[in-house]
Parts: sequence; structure tokens; C-alpha cells
Amino acid sequence: MASRQPPPAPAGEGDREGEGARSAGRPHVVDQLSAYLEGDLGARAAEVVREHLEDCAGCQRAALELRAMVAGARDLERPEPPPTLWPAIEGAMARAETEILPFWRSFFVRGFAVGGLAGATLVLVVGIGIGVGRRGGLSFLSSLSSLAPQAGEHAEGGAVVSPTAALDPLLEEAEGELQAAASAYERSIEKLRGLLEREEPRWSPDARARCAERLARLDEAIARSRDAARRTPGDSAGSEILFAAYRSKIDYLAAVVERGGPAITGEGTP
Amino acid sequence: MAVKNPNPAMLAVNVIDRSLGLGHAEGASADDQALIEAIRRGDPGSREALYHRYKRRVFALAVRIVGAMDAEEVSQEAFIRIFRGLPKFRGDSALGTWIYRLSVNAALSHRARRPPLTGATGEPEIPLESSARESPPTGDAVLRARLERALWKLPVGYRTAIVLHDIEGLEHEEVAAILGCHVGTSKSQLHKARGKLREILSQEGITAAELEGR
Repeated sequence: MASRQPPPAPAGEGDREGEGARSAGRPHVVDQLSAYLEGDLGARAAEVVREHLEDCAGCQRAALELRAMVAGARDLERPEPPPTLWPAIEGAMARAETEILPFWRSFFVRGFAVGGLAGATLVLVVGIGIGVGRRGGLSFLSSLSSLAPQAGEHAEGGAVVSPTAALDPLLEEAEGELQAAASAYERSIEKLRGLLEREEPRWSPDARARCAERLARLDEAIARSRDAARRTPGDSAGSEILFAAYRSKIDYLAAVVERGGPAITGEGTP
Repeated sequence: MAVKNPNPAMLAVNVIDRSLGLGHAEGASADDQALIEAIRRGDPGSREALYHRYKRRVFALAVRIVGAMDAEEVSQEAFIRIFRGLPKFRGDSALGTWIYRLSVNAALSHRARRPPLTGATGEPEIPLESSARESPPTGDAVLRARLERALWKLPVGYRTAIVLHDIEGLEHEEVAAILGCHVGTSKSQLHKARGKLREILSQEGITAAELEGR
């Protein structure tokens, strides 16, 4: 049983002598009061406290203080967090998600990029093989140049049909393979775009803006490369640049989806 | 005046602040569950909605465990833990209880890493202040501030017990789940903490009459 002393009575309030006489021989119950008031004491212990409180003014006062204190604690207000808290959390989450990725997600994103590039490369090699092997000197460049639309012959997804190809079945075959390469690039880009659209809502407006700006520059690079290839049919450099532009866009999309947002620095121009 | 029986009003302390579903340990409420699912799907704005639902509880807890100066940092850490942990949250306890647990852990971890600066009395140099109080303090506000300062003089374990049970209004079962202890330990800790706090208030001359006259 606790015997801590109860608080002294304020001047003029308590009968210290009488109080002592009434509680003589029985230890004070200050340490039991909280459990008593909560109903946590067993029946016997609660009865002892109750009987003590009937006679001990000091412990009665302690009980009143305790009760008032708990009521006061209950009424304490919850302070309002500063308005900067949510932006700080959002920013920290964006940074954390950029740094930490589940392995499957990384694998998934890389799969699209690598698969697309591999597919495009494969058909490109086949196309080159057909062009070089069966035409004996037909340059890869001239084949690629046929990808450039002539006289408004755009096909869906950027694929084009060359009038030359219509005249030469071998060239047409090579061109078909090269268009397939371009289509493989486009499909990879579309898949990565789909992933990007799912990720973007979680990003900050600034991150979304940076990503959009970067993609716009990559699209401009692809458009310029396509125009260059059209202007120089027979020059392989144009086609190489076009496919390099596709690969740049795929690399960027894969990286940004994998990171969960665009990098703040270190992104060069396409 | 004798205290014949436990005060019903005091026993009712435990049912404070139940309107948002914090008092049910049988799992997350329907609203919370919907919010959890939205966050798991990555719905725009769902994280922010959860933040606004729990921000004051998390921040208040942080303020009272680590102090006003570090509370924002601790709250940020707590919410990051919450958002990272939500995919693994199984709903065995109420979302609020789980959030309290992560918040208390974040606060105690922070405190272990960076113990508060203390003055000669052991009181933090920057004690808890009521945030952004614009009007002059009234008698009630002064008394609240004295109570907050007295809380700061408690050891952190005692203070946490009082914050969770008496201020936040959680049940002992919830407090035990949050602190990772037995219910009996939670009760014992709370009763000791209250006794100590009452002593501190008494030493500072704060009487029951003053507390009741808030």
C-alpha cells in the first residue's frame, strides 16, 4: 500500500490535527488514486481506498486535483501543423520514390525499353541484311531514307511508304523491315507512355512540367531527324539519327518511369 | 469532500474523440479502408486526403513528445513512414492506432537521436507553446500553458502515456498496441505518470480549484 503524503491543506481549510487523527494508522492512498478513479483496482483494494478517502482530507484533495488534472489534459487542444508540412512531405516522398524502386518495377520498365530496342534492332539488322545482301550495294541509308514520307504518304504511327519501294520488290521488302523497326520503337514508346501517364499524377507540378518539356524536345528531335531523312534519301546518316532519336526518347521514358520522376539535374538536351 | 466512487466524468475520459473512428480496435473503418485502397491504387489526392484527416493528431503528438521546434520534422518522418507502410497495412488494428504507432516511433527515434536541449530545471529551453496564438492569453490559456509545461517535466515515457490516453483519448488496449507493451503495463505507466504530474502541478501551486475553474 502506498504511503506517499497527500498535499497539505491550504491555510484555513483543513484540520491538520483532526485529519491526522482520523487517518492515523492507515497509510495514505495517493498512489492508488488514479487506478481507483479509473476502476482498475480490485474490489478489496478499492474498498480500502474508499474508506480512507472518507476520513482523509489530504487524499480527498489529491483525488480532486487528479480528477481536475485529467479533465484539463482532455481539454488540451491539438495545435495546427504549419502549412509547409504537406509540401515538405510531398517533396520528400517524391525524392524517396525516385531513389527506391521495387525490383519488379525496375524490371518491368527496363523490359519495355530493352525489349523494344532489341526488337527494333533485330528488324533493323534483318532489313539491312536484305537490302545489302540482295541488292548488292544498296545502302542502308537509302533504305532508311525511304522511311521519310514522300508527297504526303504518311502512314499511321509515323510509318511511310516510299514510291521507290513500290517499284522494287527487294527494296520494298527491306523497307518493310525498316518500317517494322520504326514501329517497334513506336510501340515501346507507347507502352512507356502508358506507364508514364499512370505515374505522373503522383508527381509535383514542377516535375510534370520538366518531364513534358523534355519529351517535347525529344519529339522535336525525332521530327527534325525524320525531316532530315526525307531531305537526303540516300544518306544513311539521316536514318541513323532518326533511330538514335527514337532510342533517346525510349531511354528517357524508361529512366523517368523507373525513377518515378524526372531528374532535377543532369538531363542534357537530346 | 470525500470521493465515494470513481467519477463517471473521469471514466468518460476514455471515450473522448471517438467521432473519427479511433476507438475501434477491430480494424480500419470503412472510410479509412476506402482511403487506403485509393492510396494503394495511386489515386490522385488520396495521400493528401489521408494527411488532412490525421495531420493534427500526428503533429500534436510530435509537439508533445519532441517539442514544437522538432515537431514538423518528426511529423514529416511519420507521414513518410505511413505512406511507405500503407501497402503492408493489414487492417488488424484501426488505421488511427497504426498511425499513432508509427508517429510515436518516429518521435521516440528522433528523440533518441537528438535529445532535447535542457535548461537547469530539465525543462526544454523552448517549451511547448500554443501555436500561433494571436489573441492575448486568457485565464484558460494560461492554465493550459502551465499544464503543458508541467507535462514537459515528466520523463518521456510518462509523458507519452498521458498524451496517448488522457489527451488523445485512446483506450489502454490501443496504447498498449502503440507502445508494444501489455495492457497492465500501460495502465501502470499511466497511473504513475498521473501521480507524478499531479505532484509537479502541486509544487507549482496549481490547485484543483484552478484546474476545475478553467
